[in-house]
Amino acid sequence: MDTNNFSIETENLSLWYGDFQALIDVSVNIPTGKITSLIGPSGCGKTTLLRCFNRVNERYGNVKTKGEIKILGKNIYDSDVSLLELRKTVGMVFQRPNPLPISVYENILFGLRIHSPFRSLNRTQTDEIVEEALTSVFLWDDLKDKLKTRATSLQLEQQQKLCIARLLPLKPQVILMDEPCSALDSKGTLAVEELMSVLAGSYTFLIVTHNMAQAKRVSDECIYMFLGELIEHRETQALFETPEHEKTADYVQMRYG
Amino acid sequence: MNANIMNRSELIYHTIAIISLVIVIILLWNFTSDGSYVEGKINSDVITEETVSTIYGQLYRMIPTFCGVILFSIVISFYLEEWLQQTSWQYQIIERHIAILARVPSLVVGILAVYFIFFHFQNITYYGLLLTVVLLVMPVTIQSTQKSIQTVDISVREAAYALGATRWRVVTDHVFPHTFSKILAVICTAISRILAIAAFLVASVWIYGSNSFSFPKSVILLITGALIVSVLSSLLD
Repeated sequence: MDTNNFSIETENLSLWYGDFQALIDVSVNIPTGKITSLIGPSGCGKTTLLRCFNRVNERYGNVKTKGEIKILGKNIYDSDVSLLELRKTVGMVFQRPNPLPISVYENILFGLRIHSPFRSLNRTQTDEIVEEALTSVFLWDDLKDKLKTRATSLQLEQQQKLCIARLLPLKPQVILMDEPCSALDSKGTLAVEELMSVLAGSYTFLIVTHNMAQAKRVSDECIYMFLGELIEHRETQALFETPEHEKTADYVQMRYG
Repeated sequence: MNANIMNRSELIYHTIAIISLVIVIILLWNFTSDGSYVEGKINSDVITEETVSTIYGQLYRMIPTFCGVILFSIVISFYLEEWLQQTSWQYQIIERHIAILARVPSLVVGILAVYFIFFHFQNITYYGLLLTVVLLVMPVTIQSTQKSIQTVDISVREAAYALGATRWRVVTDHVFPHTFSKILAVICTAISRILAIAAFLVASVWIYGSNSFSFPKSVILLITGALIVSVLSSLLD
């Protein structure tokens, strides 16, 4: 594969929280238009790695990074890179559904309003955008009469789908998901997984999960991490059935973790 | 990709912070060097109704200043919580000073104010009253506002930041609306403290002057006002 097939590339990425090194020389290439899962035991650096890709880690003052991260071929630590643009290109869905405490309608438009000139969107346009986003995540039928409802009052599954929907008007290239189904029941998990499968192809998904069955079900490629190091990165089926590394085998065969 | 939008708001806020700091330094410098531009001379040997009027006159003239102190305290709280890195040495220093000052009993500040303003300088200076109010109101207001800001769910901030919102946008769109009623409560508490210290100043001087334990009626009004505003504060919180 040539380099254009990768949405995310890292080269010797290391990260420290104060004196603690959370990532150790991670070099990884995430393929475009596919779903890639990050698996590993708690505290192995999965979420930390994920958060590096839209630089949300930097909000915490004691974080130091070394190495290179390229998103769509551009080093995100270059001085000419705007966080605003980066976060438009790389959307993020969190572990706990976190709709903003405003209406469903305004949730969908919040990101777009940030990235559009003031009052540049008219009502007809916004109506269309909201309908399109909610239709993409299969929420339109359920919520078309509840657009003014406060988003935090929705069911958890609907909230998480809404969190995905609010990214779509920004047309991100990459969607990062940090255990998106951990707060959902089995029905909600299935719904979100189906949604990811439908959207994959148009977007590059990188998903952190503790649920190995989920990683097996949804992802094309799988990355195993252990104590801040990337141990193995292969196609999902190969990683689960014929792991090359002993530590990966121990984990996927549930001998620990 | 363009870095300008993010950096501009950061720059504006830092400039405001520096200007505010310079203003405070100038005010304190004036206070310590050459006294004040508005003053009411008093003779602590002869306390009369006129002395009380002088105190009230000075307090009325300072109402905009008191509002400024409260507003400034709230702005500082937002700066500390939303802009300054909480691991930075600047945050730690300011935080520790505020923590110490907030624990000083208001009675201590009141007694010092009465002593210095009325009996040492014999002059109700603008800066003397300003310093009293700053010591009495600012630390408590900053601490309470910080606590109310901290109640905003981290997930809301993360959601907004991950969508590309700037700090300014997160504060104006989410943090401020969420904390608005609590900030009103903080403002009420600050007003209540100002009314209480005003009552204390007048009452102390009156008791000293008249040599009897009696107050002018205005003191009762001030105390009642302080109590009403305190109740309002608890309702809003």
